[in-house]
Amino acid sequence: MEGKGEIKLPGNKEEVFNQLMDPDVLEKCIMGCKNLEKIEENKYKADLSVGIAAVKGKYDATITLDNVEEPNFYTLIVHGEGNPGIVDAEGNIHLDSDGANETLLHYTYTADIKGKVASIGQRMLGGVAKLIINDFFKKAKKELQRQQSAS
Amino acid sequence: MTDKIGHSIRRVEDARLMSGEGSYVDDLEPFANVHHAAILRSPYAHANIKKINAEQALTMEGVVEVLTGEDILEHTKPFPVGVSEPINYYSMAVDKVRFVGEPVAVVVAKDRYLAEDAVDAIKVEYEPLDAVVDIEEAMQHDAPVLHENIGTNIANQRFYDYGNSDKAFEEADMVISHKFNFPKYSATPVENYGVIADYTSSENQYTVWSNFHGPFTLHTVMSAALNVPSNQLRLMVPKDIGGSYGIKSGMFPYIVLMGVAARKAGVPVKWTEDRQENLLASSSGTDRVTWIDAAVNKDGTILGMKMKMVDNVGGYIRAPEPASLYRTHSNTLGAYKIKNLQMETVAVMTNKSPTGLIRGYGGQQLYFPLERMMQHIAKKLDMDAAELVEKNLIPSDAFPYETPSGGIYDSGNYQKALKTALDTAQYNEFRQKQKEAWKKGKYLGIGLAAIVEPSGSNMGYVTVALTPEEREQSLPKSGCAEGATVSIDPRGSVTVRISTVPSGQGHETVAAQIVSEVLNVEADKVKVIAEMDTATNPWSVASGSYSSRFAPIGSSAIYQAAQKVRNKLLRIAEHQLGEPFQHLTIKNGRAVAEEDETKQISLKRLIGTAHWNPVDLPEGMEPGLHESAFYTISAAKAPAKDDTVNGSVTYGFVADVVTVEVDPDTGEVEILDYVTVHDAGKLLNPTIANGQILGGLAHGLGGAMYEELAYDDNGQLLSGSFMDYLCPTATEVPNITIEHQETPSPLTPLGAKGLGEGNTMSAPAVIANAVTDALTPFDIMIDDLPLSPDRIWRKIQEKKRVVVKEEF
Repeated sequence: MEGKGEIKLPGNKEEVFNQLMDPDVLEKCIMGCKNLEKIEENKYKADLSVGIAAVKGKYDATITLDNVEEPNFYTLIVHGEGNPGIVDAEGNIHLDSDGANETLLHYTYTADIKGKVASIGQRMLGGVAKLIINDFFKKAKKELQRQQSAS
Repeated sequence: MTDKIGHSIRRVEDARLMSGEGSYVDDLEPFANVHHAAILRSPYAHANIKKINAEQALTMEGVVEVLTGEDILEHTKPFPVGVSEPINYYSMAVDKVRFVGEPVAVVVAKDRYLAEDAVDAIKVEYEPLDAVVDIEEAMQHDAPVLHENIGTNIANQRFYDYGNSDKAFEEADMVISHKFNFPKYSATPVENYGVIADYTSSENQYTVWSNFHGPFTLHTVMSAALNVPSNQLRLMVPKDIGGSYGIKSGMFPYIVLMGVAARKAGVPVKWTEDRQENLLASSSGTDRVTWIDAAVNKDGTILGMKMKMVDNVGGYIRAPEPASLYRTHSNTLGAYKIKNLQMETVAVMTNKSPTGLIRGYGGQQLYFPLERMMQHIAKKLDMDAAELVEKNLIPSDAFPYETPSGGIYDSGNYQKALKTALDTAQYNEFRQKQKEAWKKGKYLGIGLAAIVEPSGSNMGYVTVALTPEEREQSLPKSGCAEGATVSIDPRGSVTVRISTVPSGQGHETVAAQIVSEVLNVEADKVKVIAEMDTATNPWSVASGSYSSRFAPIGSSAIYQAAQKVRNKLLRIAEHQLGEPFQHLTIKNGRAVAEEDETKQISLKRLIGTAHWNPVDLPEGMEPGLHESAFYTISAAKAPAKDDTVNGSVTYGFVADVVTVEVDPDTGEVEILDYVTVHDAGKLLNPTIANGQILGGLAHGLGGAMYEELAYDDNGQLLSGSFMDYLCPTATEVPNITIEHQETPSPLTPLGAKGLGEGNTMSAPAVIANAVTDALTPFDIMIDDLPLSPDRIWRKIQEKKRVVVKEEF
């Protein structure tokens, strides 16, 4: 499964980039993410709790930020293992300035699922992936707006 | 009397089933202190197991034991399988997983909830490996290899040459070739697998209740795996099984797995499969690729065929595979008088779930390419398909007919059945309607299939997978043995014990009909015990319900046992009346001398003598009335040195004609009429026969239009629930007309042949033929299934221009 999209976010490239690299922001913005803990530089473990179709469940996840080219680009790699199955997702995040105080974020992603969630959640999967991604950026945008109005 | 053989008496099973009094395995509590198992299954299609950590699970409430591959390795041996280079197949993954859903660990706990929770707490570390799911890719030299010990994914490969194909291909006017793909699909009984296993350590005895229905060749496979003498594995089956359609024979690994679980946990263990497990990892038919070349003359005479068929048996080749490749070996050329046949058969292993029996077993995979090919040849020759089929049918005076590969078709009149089908469907009139419709942009089509339906399989056919030299190393395999017991107790009640393990086919009803006819008692007075118990039933390797063997074999064993009882009664009557045995018959509850009806004696008195007064029995006769009979048919011989084999004992015939309308904008197929004409010899109970035909047809419809166990390239199952694995329901079943023709089998005492699998074999072919015919203006070729709207729509889109020719 793969997809792409773009979203306009408030703040310049540096601000947006720093926010999206911030583990606290990641924890707040990734749906069902709890107990995000740093295990090494740019690598975290977390509990993910996601429901796809009839397969709701918890995943032990590692979240890795890779190919970091501040403030233009990074790859977000999520590997989750749980009773419902295994999720492997990779998103490439590319930032472009759009005027002085706005940033255009382009993303592409691929996601692979294995196990029970693959065999019974297929039909819903594309929709769920979109839902999670849209939710992520919606929350990230809110977070950026909140920080901007606070400063 | 109307309760005898050949009449549609009501099924005796239905009263209990309809009033909630059926006894299914999940309802049983055969042992005290039964615990429950849940299975952890692999999310990977192909991976090494690095580590299994069950520490946390073992500490959880109610958990008694956790089993892994190590326990299986300790207590079992690999399941035997009939190929020359066997792989190591165990009831649970050992070190490596080879399909998604393969058992990796079993938790035994106080109840299923606790067991499932504990499964979640087991941590498994995998090292993922590249997977292969495609048949042709799996045969490539650089494909990932599933089983390192044999170094190839090919589990079985043989080549056969019958007649003189090379000459036929040289002499023919043309050679027509095509490749066909048949999908992997399953059967979806309402009741899934269920096992309750107990182990008595002081006796090293496994006692297992389950809804397994044979073949009981697999009893030997299971006891070998458990490494116990076969009388230390006692299998018991309740009288009611909620459908199987072959799939439940694939539960044998779970019988072993739960046996070991009970042994290690020290408590009886129950496991009931859920629907996801069933679709993911129970069993299914094979997917198959078939390449066909046909040597054809311009007048439509088919001189010979060359076929290469490759079956995908999934992650492990397991018994009774590679039988799917060989079940139809004797009838590879179907209903046609073609004399020359070359065949290459290959079984390949890929990272899909393992396969096994399924209704039609191998027949749908054979007849889809064969019958599609007939239509394709007709088109190439600009002939009508019905004319081509008719021209090549085996003539009615050719029976018994020997096929090039050794099949002996016992009886038939194929022309007559085909004519009935064509007339009932109004074939010629429909052709006219079709031409008119095309002009109006409506796509009507008519297709036909003419197939031979084998029944009562020969135990020896699977050994044709081995070379003649390999076969010589061991005992020849032949026959189709089945047993039955008929007894009369001291008060005169009749009991029949059968080992045919029905899963809904009404064996109790038909057994009662047969015994009632032989003993001239009312059918509702005859009690039939359908429970299976390998410790006490009269059974043999071939026992069980599969290959439509009840009508030709099971019923014959019952008939024979009833005859023994009848003979014994008449011998007692001979002794008491002083009339010769040959002159006696049974009428109205009495033994009567046919020529002098004043000489008679009541059955009650004869039965009484056998039990209460054995002193008055003829000299040397044993007391009691309890007769077992074992039945086989000598036509089921071991394969010959030249690889010919008669794989089944009786061969019925099915002629289908189907009309459809296809919507070219959506690709949707509507079946207008489905006409099916059957010749299964003498019908034992026409209502039951029609029920079997309808069920088989619905299953065939599923294979044709809806059902597929679809996998992605990583070996992940994509259709693991009924949302994505579509089964036909009552509303999808079209208008069906069933006609019968009864050409008795000369081989069976009642003239009966098996039926119920025919339309599962024919429906994918006949519906695909009708759809192809409807889309003649688009010139599309259907060579894969199921016929989902998107598949048909895509084929239509690939043809850019539509030309409706004037001559239509």
